[in-house]
Amino acid sequence: MDSPDNLISASPLAYRVGEDADVAQIAKTVGALWAEIEEALSPIIGRRGVVALYRRSLHLSRAVYSWMPGPPEGIDVAIDTRLLMSALVLQNRAEALRAGSALFQTFHDLLASLVGPSLTERLLRPVWADYAGTPRAKEPST
Amino acid sequence: MISKVTINRLATGVPGLDEVLGGGLPEFSFNLIAGPPGCGKTTLAHQMMFALATAERPAIYFTVLGEPPLKMLRYQQQFDFFDSEAINHRVRFINLSEDAMAGNLDRVLKRIVDEVLQLSPGLVFVDSFRSVVQASAKDGDSHNKLQQFVQQLGMLMTSWQATTFLIGEYFNETEANPVFTVADGLLWLRQSVQRNSMVRKLEVKKMRGQPTLAGLFTFRIDRTGIKLYAPARTSAAPSSLMDGDDVRLLMGVPGLDDMLGGGLPRGYSLLVAGPSGSGKSILAASFLAEGASRGETGVIAAFEQNPRRSRNQVLIDLIADGKVGLVDSRASDLSIDEVMQLIMVEVKRLNASRVVIDSLSGFELALAPTFRDDFRESLLRLVTALAGEGVTVLLTSELEDRYTDLRFSPYGAAFLTDAIIVQRYIEVESRLLRVLAVVKLRASRHSHELRLYSIDDDGIRVGDMLPDQEGLLGGRPTRKPGSLPLAADADVHDG
Repeated sequence: MDSPDNLISASPLAYRVGEDADVAQIAKTVGALWAEIEEALSPIIGRRGVVALYRRSLHLSRAVYSWMPGPPEGIDVAIDTRLLMSALVLQNRAEALRAGSALFQTFHDLLASLVGPSLTERLLRPVWADYAGTPRAKEPST
Repeated sequence: MISKVTINRLATGVPGLDEVLGGGLPEFSFNLIAGPPGCGKTTLAHQMMFALATAERPAIYFTVLGEPPLKMLRYQQQFDFFDSEAINHRVRFINLSEDAMAGNLDRVLKRIVDEVLQLSPGLVFVDSFRSVVQASAKDGDSHNKLQQFVQQLGMLMTSWQATTFLIGEYFNETEANPVFTVADGLLWLRQSVQRNSMVRKLEVKKMRGQPTLAGLFTFRIDRTGIKLYAPARTSAAPSSLMDGDDVRLLMGVPGLDDMLGGGLPRGYSLLVAGPSGSGKSILAASFLAEGASRGETGVIAAFEQNPRRSRNQVLIDLIADGKVGLVDSRASDLSIDEVMQLIMVEVKRLNASRVVIDSLSGFELALAPTFRDDFRESLLRLVTALAGEGVTVLLTSELEDRYTDLRFSPYGAAFLTDAIIVQRYIEVESRLLRVLAVVKLRASRHSHELRLYSIDDDGIRVGDMLPDQEGLLGGRPTRKPGSLPLAADADVHDG
């Protein structure tokens, strides 16, 4: 099992946010990344398909980060990250980064469990594109 | 000078399909892949797509309602042809479920047009087309709308130089459907279940501009995808048989070649019929061993009931030495074409000149029940096709021990072959003896003698006639008046 720190280093979030980013910037980047994921995947698996995976990921991540919002009620036709972003800005920087990264990882693993790691990698490549396995940002200090 | 248009034919990447299609898939054609759920439509579409799509000729796979794309990707990637790297590059998936759910065919068409304009694909797939129809059924005038939709789509795709496939679930082939009229090609997949066997079949109901092979062709789906069993060719003239070619193959049984007038003519088919234990398989093994000793190779298709029963040691050695190829399928739902293909692959691999099918009884049991009704016709095709390849074939057939009538096989297979050797048990003076005779040898002189034979470690030994006995074929011959009793040391003994 990956430790939270490993998750951070393997996440596109850590790559995107600078070392001195505050929680507001982290939350904003999280929102932007989810929009990118939605854009990359919805043509292929349908918008509702992406939303369903997002909701499942939120549900799974709440086991560790209980402060995360539950999946919105009703059936969405698009990913709505507003609740998530509002919850993130209430955390400290390290927790926000960990939780944001963990959520991406959960989503990644969920998709991989359905369509396999290699197709997952291929499908998410536009989002993870800049991230070539070695994060530009160093391990964030807490 | 005006020259006619040349229609390029694309290799589909599905083994056997190009042959059935009459040389491949016409470029820019508008095709329908139809059939009931689970018959392999989506797999066929994916297999062709991954084979055909290139960077210069990319493919778009539109998913409409029906199977969720995640599921489709999950299962399709199990096949070897699925290439994750191709996705978002030479293969693009586009989900239209939102548009289809609105039930507006115009909107679906517009989305397809937009994407085609943007990506200029050489190949377009719409899966499942049936769901487009169903989505549009909410509108009162769905039939007309659908026809318009299909016609527009067909015209557009052809103008945009895209080879197109609509994939749809159709249960009723006779259902009047505008799609069937507009389509250039119509591939119909079906599966039939009988007892415990399931057989998948494909039919090319229509393919404009080229002579397709008529009929139903069986196919299998395995890890590599769909494999279609194109029928054995029956028209090819034996390439190795020249006029005046009277080369004979020796049987490896001393005495038997003399009875055959010097051996079995090359390219002939020989039926060896006899009751259980009469030595048919031993004769077949000798036939292959004789070939091997002369530098020839052979193939044996074994359909024994008990695979663990040890085979003839000679045969085991020949197979181990690579001088004889073994076709030993244990599947219980084979088709004749599949067996034919398995045999032909081995024949070509080894450049074999001798083929043994042991036995027809086992072969029939190995076939899926649905093929058993056509067994004789299929057998004829098999024998003719093998003869067409110039190989010499030996088939064994179990013969029921009936002494009231003389038949050579329970299948009426006797007329199919060029030669027949029959083996029988007879009772002489409280002993069970074996006799054999060459019953038929087309266009060749042969012995008409009924000869005793025995089986020992070296195989079959042909002995003498029993001139003192008469009524041998009745099973219980009587001694002719005035003749002596059979000598105790007659040159016949059981091995």
